[in-house]
Amino acid sequence: MDEGAFTKVAEEYGARLYAVAFRLLGHRADAEDAVQRALMKAFAARAAYSPQWAVSTWLYRILTNVCVDELRRRRPTSEIDDAHRSTPSPAGAIGARIDVARALESVPREARVLLALHYVNGLSHRELAQIRGISVNTVKSQLARGKQILRVRLERGPHGPARRSPR
Amino acid sequence: MDQLDDLLAEYFNPAVAPKRLATRLARPAARATVVADPARFHLEASDRGIRRLVYGRGHDTAATAAARRHLARAREELAEYLAGARTYFSVPVDLEVGDFQGRVLTQAALIPYGETTSYAELARRIGHPRASRAVGNALGANPVPIVVPCHRIIRGDGSWGHYAFGGDMKTALLRLERTTPALVGSATTSIVCRKGCAHEQRISERHRVVFASLDDARSVGYRPCKVCQR
Repeated sequence: MDEGAFTKVAEEYGARLYAVAFRLLGHRADAEDAVQRALMKAFAARAAYSPQWAVSTWLYRILTNVCVDELRRRRPTSEIDDAHRSTPSPAGAIGARIDVARALESVPREARVLLALHYVNGLSHRELAQIRGISVNTVKSQLARGKQILRVRLERGPHGPARRSPR
Repeated sequence: MDQLDDLLAEYFNPAVAPKRLATRLARPAARATVVADPARFHLEASDRGIRRLVYGRGHDTAATAAARRHLARAREELAEYLAGARTYFSVPVDLEVGDFQGRVLTQAALIPYGETTSYAELARRIGHPRASRAVGNALGANPVPIVVPCHRIIRGDGSWGHYAFGGDMKTALLRLERTTPALVGSATTSIVCRKGCAHEQRISERHRVVFASLDDARSVGYRPCKVCQR
């Protein structure tokens, strides 16, 4: 992969990588920064790229590594924003988004990362396993566990009775 | 597909990339981190460990064979740290400091790589919540900066505060730590190491998986390395 190829990769995959980074980190500037760092790392480590891998899988692996390390430095939202959390969410589509965002906070980080990769870009279990260096069965159990936690949270609500039934 | 799938698909609906994203991404980043030349640091060691670390003019001091071994190890770890290949120091330190300063430096050494805390918070942690200025003085007199990471302590308002090696160095160190992952797993062995461990350095690029915590790594079947996480 030479420098011309790097620009082509940035053009071809930049938007898809950005979508994942934005959903994982929640801020536009952080997402853009993470994608740029990931592309630079991919470029620096281009000798290690194996053609057995899809380029996208290789890039998602590096991007996820960058994003996960960024998440490590962040305090859990619960510590920052407890007061805000206890306020009821508005009705409608925005309310549903806030409910999902709150429920996702109780999902373990690794499962949350897998959920984001799976739902943002529709990656298969096999691709997720390659990206996170785990078995397909672990991917399945993590996704199932994450969704189970979400179901329970959305049914009960964080502080009260259910506002909606997800089934 | 049940209703939860619909909710998640809607929630994770791909974000629209900003205009001219590819152009910005392809632009060579002017943020490559060059912290400092390791040769400009000078160390003093005793039989028990590293006693002093200074930047700029000076020379290495080690009187005995044991001291020279500590010094060589510290120099190697420092070079790896500055190159972003190490996130912790295992070389022993030999501090001759008072009780208060000792407690401050011990607490400062516990701040994880890549994270920061405030002078006031550090004062609270050592049980003297009103002594943040004294904490600042104790850190200012840290004989082994970087090895005891006093650069990870910043003011409560987010500004840097004083640093023995200068504000630019503090910025460069914190930027380096922000872009270097701390916990790296091997997809082939399912073992997770701290960055800088001899086993971590042997993990090939294509098998590297970064984790945010040991609990996260355990949750997907990885175990901690027995060498670097005893």
